[in-house]
Amino acid sequence: MSTLRIWLTQALFIFLITESIGQLVEPCGYIYPEFPVVQRGSNFTAICVLKEKCLQQYYVNASYIVWKTNHVAVPKEQVTVINRTTSSVTFTDMVLQTVQLTCNVLSFGQIEQNVYGTTVLSGFPPDIPTNLSCIVNEGKNMLCHWDPGRETYLETNYTLKSEWPTEKFADCHSKHGTSCMVSFSPIYFVNIEVWVEAENALGKVSSEAINFDPVDKVKHIPPYNLSVSNSEELSSILKLTWNNSGTLRLKSDIQYRTKDASTWIQVPLEDTESPRTSFTVQDLKPFTEYVFRIRTIKEDGKGYWSDWSEEASGITYEDRPSKPPSFWYKINPSHTQESRSARLIWKELPLSEANGKILDYEVILTQWKSFSQNYTVNGTELIVNLTNNHYIASLAARNVVGKSDTAVLTIPSSHFKASHPVVDLKAFPKDNKLRVEWTAPHKPVKKYIIEWCVLSDNSPCVPDWQQEGGSVTQTYLRGSLLESKCYLITVTPVFTSGPGSSESVKAYLKQAAPSRGPTVRTKKVGKNEAVLEWDQLPVDDQNGFIRNYSISYRTSIGNEIVVNVDSSHTEYTLSPLSSDTLYMVRMAAYTDEGGKDGPEFTFTTPKFAQGEIEAIVVPVCLAFLLTTLLGVLFCFNKRDLIKKHIWPNVPDPSKSHIAQWSPHTPPRHNFNSKDQMYSDGNFTDVSVVEIEANNKKPCPDDLKSLDLFKKEKISTEGHSSGIGGSSCMSSSRPSISSNEENESAQNTASTVQYSTVVHSGYRHQVPSVQVFSRSESTQPLLDSEERPEDLQLADNVDSSDEILPRQQYFKQNCSQPEANPDISHFERSNQVSSGSEEDFVRLKQQQVSDHISQPCGSEQQRLFEEGPATGALGAGTDGQVEQFESVGMETAMDEEIPKSYLPQTVRQGGYMPQ
Amino acid sequence: MDLRAGDSWGMLACLCTVLWHLPAVPALNRTGDPGPGPSIQKTYDLTRYLEHQLRSLAGTYLNYLGPPFNEPDFNPPRLGAETLPRATVNLEVWRSLNDKLRLTQNYEAYSHLLCYLRGLNRQAATAELRRSLAHFCTSLQGLLGSIAGVMAALGYPLPQPLPGTEPAWAPGPAHSDFLQKMDDFWLLKELQTWLWRSAKDFNRLKKKMQPPAASVTLHLEAHGF
Repeated sequence: MSTLRIWLTQALFIFLITESIGQLVEPCGYIYPEFPVVQRGSNFTAICVLKEKCLQQYYVNASYIVWKTNHVAVPKEQVTVINRTTSSVTFTDMVLQTVQLTCNVLSFGQIEQNVYGTTVLSGFPPDIPTNLSCIVNEGKNMLCHWDPGRETYLETNYTLKSEWPTEKFADCHSKHGTSCMVSFSPIYFVNIEVWVEAENALGKVSSEAINFDPVDKVKHIPPYNLSVSNSEELSSILKLTWNNSGTLRLKSDIQYRTKDASTWIQVPLEDTESPRTSFTVQDLKPFTEYVFRIRTIKEDGKGYWSDWSEEASGITYEDRPSKPPSFWYKINPSHTQESRSARLIWKELPLSEANGKILDYEVILTQWKSFSQNYTVNGTELIVNLTNNHYIASLAARNVVGKSDTAVLTIPSSHFKASHPVVDLKAFPKDNKLRVEWTAPHKPVKKYIIEWCVLSDNSPCVPDWQQEGGSVTQTYLRGSLLESKCYLITVTPVFTSGPGSSESVKAYLKQAAPSRGPTVRTKKVGKNEAVLEWDQLPVDDQNGFIRNYSISYRTSIGNEIVVNVDSSHTEYTLSPLSSDTLYMVRMAAYTDEGGKDGPEFTFTTPKFAQGEIEAIVVPVCLAFLLTTLLGVLFCFNKRDLIKKHIWPNVPDPSKSHIAQWSPHTPPRHNFNSKDQMYSDGNFTDVSVVEIEANNKKPCPDDLKSLDLFKKEKISTEGHSSGIGGSSCMSSSRPSISSNEENESAQNTASTVQYSTVVHSGYRHQVPSVQVFSRSESTQPLLDSEERPEDLQLADNVDSSDEILPRQQYFKQNCSQPEANPDISHFERSNQVSSGSEEDFVRLKQQQVSDHISQPCGSEQQRLFEEGPATGALGAGTDGQVEQFESVGMETAMDEEIPKSYLPQTVRQGGYMPQ
Repeated sequence: MDLRAGDSWGMLACLCTVLWHLPAVPALNRTGDPGPGPSIQKTYDLTRYLEHQLRSLAGTYLNYLGPPFNEPDFNPPRLGAETLPRATVNLEVWRSLNDKLRLTQNYEAYSHLLCYLRGLNRQAATAELRRSLAHFCTSLQGLLGSIAGVMAALGYPLPQPLPGTEPAWAPGPAHSDFLQKMDDFWLLKELQTWLWRSAKDFNRLKKKMQPPAASVTLHLEAHGF
């Protein structure tokens, strides 16, 4: 109950509200015309009429009216106050499609209040529709099109009207204004009148009416169930059958093409004018698939062609091959005397000539005036063994219908000499194919065989071939050719008697730049020129005919120089070049299509030409040699003079006559070898002494003898020779050296005297009576000091009488080199085996006897060489043995010298003075 | 036939005369009124076309009626269809009909048949059948208009509709369903006969109205050769 009350209250409230709003929104005035539509570009006037009630309420009149278009006040000039309640506004040349026009009033003189508003539309009246045309799609209703003309900018209704003289049909209202499909099925053979009416707010127009029979506007449904059948009797025909729609008489349009073709072949329209549902297409190729399509139109040609039917295809029946295959043969080159192997080859017939599926080939081989052999081959080659005789081979291809004509080939006997080649054979690319042209030989040609293959270093020449008729002198190579490949094309004319001589030519389908450039190298590099050489590019890299080479060379700083070389060359001499310069050479090979650089090669020219150094060095050497020789000769000639200046004669103290003069000088008590030698020249005694000296007391003995010398010479000066004695165990040489060093001052000090004595004594062989004893003692020391090695070598060549003292000295010297490094060993051996001196002596003697025949010099040299090594051996007994050997050697030598070498020394007396 | 020089000249003169008069031959003078010829041809085509159309329509409708009406050899007696205009007529009578009478009979027959057909349309059950019948009705109306057009072209007045022959095919309760179907069957059969007859009529009329130009040409050829 309460719910009902609430509902009633609400309803009452809503009613009251609505009522009051209705009162509130009642406008103070109106704009006329209420829904203005204006033709574009024309003038337009609107008026605003205020209500009397509002005039009083707001204290306004028409002069207070403000017009606005699209919220913009209209200039006062366009506004006219007609009376107290009415104001008008005029617009000229309306161009905007829609304008919001409002009538406002200034209430109380200042508050602008909207009174009324409207929308002004502008546009054009409809144009008269033109180009009205209709089409009747079979099975559908009629569709008409027209051209509405200019855009109206206004809502325009197009109505397609149609009628018979006796009846009107339903109007067709178009939505988009350019076409309309009527709602009824058209009635054929009764003319209908059709026109279009266009209407909008600015006007209504009608198009010109068209009167037509709808059957003349029909576009039929395409023919269907198109089928194709062939005839076994005739391989050149195909029969088409199809169905047409409807009951009207139609003519057809038939097109066909081979399956692979893209263009259609038209069956003449005259042939298909009469209404039909079947047709036989003639003049077709056998065993070829054809595709057909068909369309129809009314018999009289009025209306529209139907769309094309679905395509249907059929294959014509086979016919016997129309041509024999291309036929050729190859003789195996390695044939024997009696027989040869021939490979008969032929080409598969193209489909257009095979006229069916080739089942097999029939080859008949007939030997000259002999029986024939038949072969049936499935492939395209036959290898037969032939004798050297003349043969005739014939070939025919066979399909299910029949055999082709035969191709006959004469295989001449093996002794046959081919002749009559084609002349002026040329091959060049044309239209992206290789064209071959030639001039026929002067003999009727049956056919030509053209063979070609790719020339390559990597793969053998596998020829492809084709056959051309005897009247042909130009052809294109059939087959897929590659670009940038060198083709060797051979043309062989075939005469009735057999093949003629072949001619070959090379060609490229399309040249390209070489794959790589030639690798250049130097053959010879001279000071101002270099001979470059290179190899011809392999044919696989050429990619075209090499027309020329370009050699570009430069130094590291200089400009590049480019030389073009003919393609026939494989070497080139670069000149002039700078000497001692690094050159970079690069070589490019060019075909007609471009070039390719090879790797860069560098070489350096030499500073001198070949033989130049020799030319300088040899004369210089010769000059030097000559100078030297002259110098030597000069020296030789002037040797006396030089000798006098450089080597003044030093008197030999040993030859001083004082020794002779005093033969009776009492002999020294001490062991004095010199005296003994002079006295009798017997060394054996000395040798004994030496062995004894080696017998563990060599140094003291030797030194003793030295000391005796020294004592004799030094005693006058009061010098002590204790050095030798004290240093005996450490080194004999140093002790001697030190003695010598010590004595050098004395020697120099006594030189004056000494020289004087010798000089006078030696020259005039006049024994000097003064100071002879001193010279006697110093001479050996001086000598040994100056030439220790020479003495060792020369010891054998000293004269018998004069050498004796030297020999003795040499004997000491002989031991000196070994003593020098080996003394320490001696010492060590002494230390090691001091307690068995007698054993050593025995050993020594044994070894001496072993080595007794060996010359001292060689042994000494050996020892000299081994000295350091033996020294290194240290405490080894071998070293000791060696050292003992050397020592023992001296004894042996001492013993032998007088026997074996004495005569030599006598002969070489010329050197004695030294 | 041996041709002499005199004959040649005569032939040439004849040819020139014919050529001179050619523009005057109505059939070749296309600028003027084409006459009733085209509309007669069109009417003839329409009758042939409607014959085809009716054949398929009748098949459908008889199937709709069911057996025995759809049986090919069904030939019932003409019982309730007495009011239908009869197309069959004695051949001699038909031949003796003049154009006006011939056209008038056609016009009257189709006027009646159309009325009956419209009644048939209302009874048809399926929409497809109704649509086909409606289209056939319209076509028949077109035929009527064509005949009227031909008559007008030939200057014949249209026959005034006879009072009482108007919607006489009112489906009454008196008819049983079978008899109703029988009437439908006879309507279609009569319509078919009329279309066949009309085709003959208009073919005859067409030949009669054939432009004389062709005959002139033929005469010329016969004379020349």
